[in-house]
Amino acid sequence: MKKRLYYIVYVAMAIISLNSCSIDNYDWPEETLKGRVVDAATGDLVLTDQGSEGIRIRLKELSWKGTAAPENFDFWCMKEGIFQNTKIFKGHYNVRIDGAFIPLLRLNNQGDTIADETKYIDINGVTEVEFQVQPFLKLEWMGQPTVKDGKITASFIVNRGVSPQDFKEKIEPMGNYSDEFLNITDVRLFVSQVPYVGYREWDNRYSVQIDYPGNTFEESLGKPITITSNGSIPAGRTIFIRAAARINYATEGVKRHNYNEALRVDIPSNK
Amino acid sequence: MNMKINYFLYIILLIGGISIACSDYLDVPPKNLITDDVVFQNSASTLTYLSRMYSQMPFEDFKYSPARQFFDDWLVTPGTNEGSSIGRDAGAAMTSEGWARNGAYWTRAFELLRDANRLLEALPKYKNNFSEIEYNYFVGEGYFTRAMVFYALAKRYGGVPLITSVLNYPEKPVSELEVPRSSEEETWNQVLSDFDLAIQNLPTQSSQKGTANKYVALSFKSEAMLYAGSVARYNKITGFGEKTNVRVIGFDPNTASEASIKYFKEAYNAAMEVVKSGKYSLYKKKWAPNDKEAQYQNMVDMFFDEESPENILIKEYSYPDLTHGYDSYNIPRQLMGGNGYSAGNCPTLDFVELFDGIEKNPDGTIKVLNDQGKYLLFDNVTDIFKNAEPRLKANVILPGEIFKGEVIEIRRGVYTGDTSNGISPLRVVNGGSPDYSISGPENYNQVDAYTSKGDFSQKQLFLSRDGSNHEVVTLPNGTQMNAGGKSGPFTADRTGAVTGFTIRKWLNPNTPQSLVLEARSEQHFILMRLAEVILNLAEATSELTLAGQPTPDGSDDQIIISQVISQIRERAGADPLKATDILSGEKGLQLIRKERRKELGFENKILWDIRRWRTQHSDPLNGTTQQDGAYYRGLYPFYSSQTDKYFFDAGIEESRMRFRFMEQDYYFMIPSDQVSKSPVIDQQPGR
Repeated sequence: MKKRLYYIVYVAMAIISLNSCSIDNYDWPEETLKGRVVDAATGDLVLTDQGSEGIRIRLKELSWKGTAAPENFDFWCMKEGIFQNTKIFKGHYNVRIDGAFIPLLRLNNQGDTIADETKYIDINGVTEVEFQVQPFLKLEWMGQPTVKDGKITASFIVNRGVSPQDFKEKIEPMGNYSDEFLNITDVRLFVSQVPYVGYREWDNRYSVQIDYPGNTFEESLGKPITITSNGSIPAGRTIFIRAAARINYATEGVKRHNYNEALRVDIPSNK
Repeated sequence: MNMKINYFLYIILLIGGISIACSDYLDVPPKNLITDDVVFQNSASTLTYLSRMYSQMPFEDFKYSPARQFFDDWLVTPGTNEGSSIGRDAGAAMTSEGWARNGAYWTRAFELLRDANRLLEALPKYKNNFSEIEYNYFVGEGYFTRAMVFYALAKRYGGVPLITSVLNYPEKPVSELEVPRSSEEETWNQVLSDFDLAIQNLPTQSSQKGTANKYVALSFKSEAMLYAGSVARYNKITGFGEKTNVRVIGFDPNTASEASIKYFKEAYNAAMEVVKSGKYSLYKKKWAPNDKEAQYQNMVDMFFDEESPENILIKEYSYPDLTHGYDSYNIPRQLMGGNGYSAGNCPTLDFVELFDGIEKNPDGTIKVLNDQGKYLLFDNVTDIFKNAEPRLKANVILPGEIFKGEVIEIRRGVYTGDTSNGISPLRVVNGGSPDYSISGPENYNQVDAYTSKGDFSQKQLFLSRDGSNHEVVTLPNGTQMNAGGKSGPFTADRTGAVTGFTIRKWLNPNTPQSLVLEARSEQHFILMRLAEVILNLAEATSELTLAGQPTPDGSDDQIIISQVISQIRERAGADPLKATDILSGEKGLQLIRKERRKELGFENKILWDIRRWRTQHSDPLNGTTQQDGAYYRGLYPFYSSQTDKYFFDAGIEESRMRFRFMEQDYYFMIPSDQVSKSPVIDQQPGR
């Protein structure tokens, strides 16, 4: 008799507890946003760093009314200039990207919008976007890197991705324009042991930075630049290298580099 | 009968109950709440209110560290991040308040702001409870508090909500109480006007030690205005809040230089008024001309003498009521106290090299090699610093110096190799050439002399693993010697002098080892002293001259700068100014800045200086900059057993702490929950 009572109580409690497992307010975020960042002039992907000095994608869920203002939802572009996020809530969004290219959202000195090339889209299912941007610089490898005594020597060319006139036309209305913005301040050869090599992932024992004061780089535009890595990389290692350069202009508070693609270099083993 | 009495009683009770409820003599103030009438009934009760406010003041003392922010008792490392030292527990640049266990200052600030506003609003109602002197004093304290809070906020966040009255909730709905961030310029102007009202109302003497007076307010005003002027002048990042379109960080580039001149003039005038008052003087009680020992002792004592005429505002501590643990965390390893902490704060060679009286190379680095590229040999470990500026010794415990009557033994290792051709630099791997770059060996246990490679057919370098595991060397005279010193540095733990130095400033030389414990130290912290005020004066003068402005009172800028630097250097025992030293222009400004770094290191001032100068991310630092990630250097003493002499190896410090700081980090993020729950509070632009 007593056992049976316990049994009834137990079942009742189980039912009650199950009852409280109601469905959560929201479905899983399961929409996907895929995107590409391409050079408006050439259609090539805009290569970037992978991290906070690379291309930032910022979503703002405009259809969200739960708080006073939607919280920024940021993520970072892959180094190839493509991005994807598969955990996004369905809704209407503003999508903006910032990187080493002419800003899509431009404000003047009073904070008024003078150009807004960001995208306002509904994200539903797999949504694809393509941003056409004007990268500040374009870097290309010249030939294959060579290895000698644990040092890598590589050549590349730096060109402007946007003409100085075009740059000025777009940036000057934002106020406090200076011709110095266009100066190329530094050129680097980043060396790392992982393929995600860049400003947030470089081995400072081997990477090289060359600074150019004022506009002294100007005459080297379009000409091969050859850099040899620092130190001595132990034999047998697999190394990834990238060249990068940047101009004296910050987008969203950060002076970002433009890159060429990461190359794998195998340091021959001693045997 | 009984029944009748009962009825009767009920009726009486009923009538009684009704009649009592009609009267209000039970409507007394609740005993568990203290009302304004009680708080502001007289001077003594109002001081109680004030003392609560002071306990929340944003004072950057022994309970503050850049990484952990305010009101944190644990592991305090004042010199890290400013470049004066590295700390075991602060191995990266402060770029956020993420480590602050007490949360971002943003939230805390508004609590104290409310207390200050309440004081300012209540006082006029109770004016008759105070004499005029008392009344003005309390009004002054209210404005002083507000100025300090807005100043602490402005240097962290830029523009903030300027809440200058008590926000009454729930009397008013939340929607009417939302205050957006003002522009950075408006915020600095609020700091300025609150300091000015404090100065107007405060008396010339503090009512008690540790509280404000007119000159305290003037001194902090000069510091704050120097900050505002520097930001207006050197800041390059600005932007608008998304919700309000207000310029929440930075100045309008069109008016920034005008604003910077205004603030530098305010800084100048405030500092000059403190100087002219004659109330304060540089501490020189034990100082004697040409006596380095006296000058050194004088600079040690000034931090412990509560009656120092240089002190403008101090924060007192007293066991057991209010204590800190500075000694416990920063004591040299060999004098470690019972809690097992030590050397939390190790000065960098970069800091040490700022000082005079050290043999240096043309590039300003310390000279440790002779012209043939071999180590200089010293008879005693202390010889390399024997002529060093007394101020350096008061800041830093150098190898072999005496502290608490004991020789502080700082030795990285023992070298047993042949010395007939001199000793070549140690940082060599596999017989290559010496590599002192970042790609060179990190730790001395990787170099050839230790691993018996390259030129070394046998092990000739001996090191200690940690404080209790030593390699022991038998010296030519038969005695035995531990490889590492009692205070390190060690190969595998960082409880020793990881840079080859440990800190002396603020360490109490009179605390017995048994009391070197957490929450047991009670020396006071000097929040403001005259040396800073006169350095503020010199810097404001220099900035005004650079901007093509005369000094506000027409004084000669060169004379002011030269007097300030001369006085500071004379007291410090540093080299006097030479006739060839340039005091004007950019060079003069750099000279003042350098003097500041030497004088005010470890006082929670320099980090804010390099931030307001906007040089933290971009200043060259050992071949790189903090925005790319930079390292500091150490100086490692070795004993050569063959010669019975010491030599020193200078290079990037062994723990390879990388400091990385981006330009946008000059402004802290606003806590994101505060941004998302408010329709008006903006995040930093671009973040």
